[in-house]
Amino acid sequence: MPGCSCVTEPARKLVTAARLTKWVVSGPPFLFLLLFFVIPGIIMVLASFRYPGEFGGLAPLTAADPATLQGVTLETYRFFFSDPIYGQVFVKSIFMALATTLICLTMAYPLALLIARSPKKSRDLMVLLVILPFASNFLIRVYAWMIVLGPQSALSRLVNGLLHGLGMEPVHLLFSPFAVLVAMVYVHLPFMVLPLYTNLEKHDPSLLDAAQDLGASAWQRFWRVTFPLSLPGIFSGSALVFIPVLGMFAVPDILGGTGDMLIGNLIKEQFLGTRDWPFGSTLSIMLTIAVLLIAWLAARLAGRRGSYG
Amino acid sequence: MGCIGASVFAPFILRQAQDERSKSRQPLPMPFVVSLSNHERLVPLMRGLLLILMLCSGSAHAADVLHLYNWNNYISEETIARFEAQCACRVVQDYYSDNEEMLAKLAAGATGYDLIVPTGNAMESLIRQNALRPLDKGLLPNLKNIDQAYLNTAFDPGNSYSVPYAYTLTLIGYNREKMRELDLPVDSWAVIFEPRHLEKLKGRVTVLDSQRELLAAALKYLGYSANDTDEAHWKQARDLIIRAKPYWAAFNASSYIKELTVGNIWLVHGYSNDIFQADLDAQKAGRKFRIVASIPKEGAVLALDSMVLHKSGPRPDLAHRFIDFMLDGRNSAELTNLIGSGNPNRDALQYIKPEVAHNPAVFPGRKQQARLEMLRDLDRHQRRVLSRIWTEIKLR
Repeated sequence: MPGCSCVTEPARKLVTAARLTKWVVSGPPFLFLLLFFVIPGIIMVLASFRYPGEFGGLAPLTAADPATLQGVTLETYRFFFSDPIYGQVFVKSIFMALATTLICLTMAYPLALLIARSPKKSRDLMVLLVILPFASNFLIRVYAWMIVLGPQSALSRLVNGLLHGLGMEPVHLLFSPFAVLVAMVYVHLPFMVLPLYTNLEKHDPSLLDAAQDLGASAWQRFWRVTFPLSLPGIFSGSALVFIPVLGMFAVPDILGGTGDMLIGNLIKEQFLGTRDWPFGSTLSIMLTIAVLLIAWLAARLAGRRGSYG
Repeated sequence: MGCIGASVFAPFILRQAQDERSKSRQPLPMPFVVSLSNHERLVPLMRGLLLILMLCSGSAHAADVLHLYNWNNYISEETIARFEAQCACRVVQDYYSDNEEMLAKLAAGATGYDLIVPTGNAMESLIRQNALRPLDKGLLPNLKNIDQAYLNTAFDPGNSYSVPYAYTLTLIGYNREKMRELDLPVDSWAVIFEPRHLEKLKGRVTVLDSQRELLAAALKYLGYSANDTDEAHWKQARDLIIRAKPYWAAFNASSYIKELTVGNIWLVHGYSNDIFQADLDAQKAGRKFRIVASIPKEGAVLALDSMVLHKSGPRPDLAHRFIDFMLDGRNSAELTNLIGSGNPNRDALQYIKPEVAHNPAVFPGRKQQARLEMLRDLDRHQRRVLSRIWTEIKLR
């Protein structure tokens, strides 16, 4: 059928208007992402192939004195790959992020389920309570843990009192990997609860009724109906927790002990302490690649699960 | 990924925001004003602009503003007020909390600062970047007050660009009662690095979260210069640090003040004015202990902050007046009384509270002075090697 002859004039106007609206609405966020994500990303990639400047920043590409001229190099990448220590920092950080994600998931899932199955009125209140910690500054909440875990705190005294009763050595809760993990879980828990809740809330209760009618036990109803349906929520929640934890430097800085360096700290150190922008950029790029790889692996696993589940 | 980017670059973004804020407070840049005055027909316009500026600020002396870019809490309010009264001008301050931050902001193009107070090595890099204005010493009669020991440093030979302002030592700070009780030596870095002492202090010690400072302390303890760049010596220092590390609670550069005050931490490798602050806070809170600083016999790091004129500053005349004003012992003493900073001004001593003046960590004796060293900047290769060592220290 010849297309244009049958489209009326008002309809065509509508199409143009819709197209215009699409651009007006999606234009600003698109520009924002381009300006503040894509372009800095490209700058970072370019910086990773340069030499560090004598006073920080990057060495000049053009110089009056040819002796100071520094071109483009693969040196930072060579430095990164020739030394297993940076790989170790990555592995350690990935383990920290995995542990945080798993703990958040096991804590958030029952909570999200509880909220999703509550009556509408109390549901809204509970969601509000989950979001409430965001009302106070992130650093203040982390600093608060210094007091909670400090040696004078009630918690420390209780734990050490119990350990003493069992005839064991007292422990320091603050400035330890434990403190870092606790604060990481604390800070990121809402990011796991919210996507899980939005997913679970949409489940059709009649599916569970049907399963029950067909003789499924409570556990079977959960494992064969609710859980598979909630997988998208689990994945988005896990991504929202895993990725920020991987890049976090403030929590280990404030609560960590003498051995709690993560990649975030290493990258921050390159920009602020060592004034080595190229190596900092290289580390950031490696982090991006690691996250993409892990996301790809997770997506493949999810796909395989989805095909038989 | 956005989250990672945001968290990594947050400090830069914040700084950018500060830049914007400070720019709005600055006067018109010099070239603009000059080029306007070159054109006769623009003079009325310029007058109009000036009038608007004056009306906006609501002050007859709106044009007389000194822009000071200084460390946080590094000048007393009374000093500023006295200078403003004396010069009939206004002092506008912007603050930084470390040299890197200040350098980064200037590198990003911040202008309009008349005076900056950088530490030696940061000042050296500003000089080498040709960012500073040479001093006119004819305008600084009070320069004679400065102790010779703090003049003519390697960072600025002949003091063409800089006048010493105040200094900080990196030393040992400790809970006096606890250290007495445990019978530990407090005159040597050994107490920070030797497991035989640290056994009594497990989990009660913090060291600075600074590659250069901690390395310098370890090098000093091993009998080398704080500026030693021999990689073999660095590795010895690394091994010393790794051996002591299990006994330390944390690498910490800020909250150790509070931890000392509360009594959670008993021994720190820290800055003299922070330790001074911790003691003031402990006394204010009525604690039963004192926090004391001591210079280890092996020596320590001295960080001398100097006043310098930035080239972009529009009022070098006011800046010179301010420098000479600060060289007056009375004004210089106020800072020492406030934060316990070291004072290179011989004329200031008479105005300093006796308890501060007799504190050897604030005013080291001649013999101790000879063991103090200022840190030189490392080149980029050395910085990368040190960062590698630091990663290893933190990972083990």
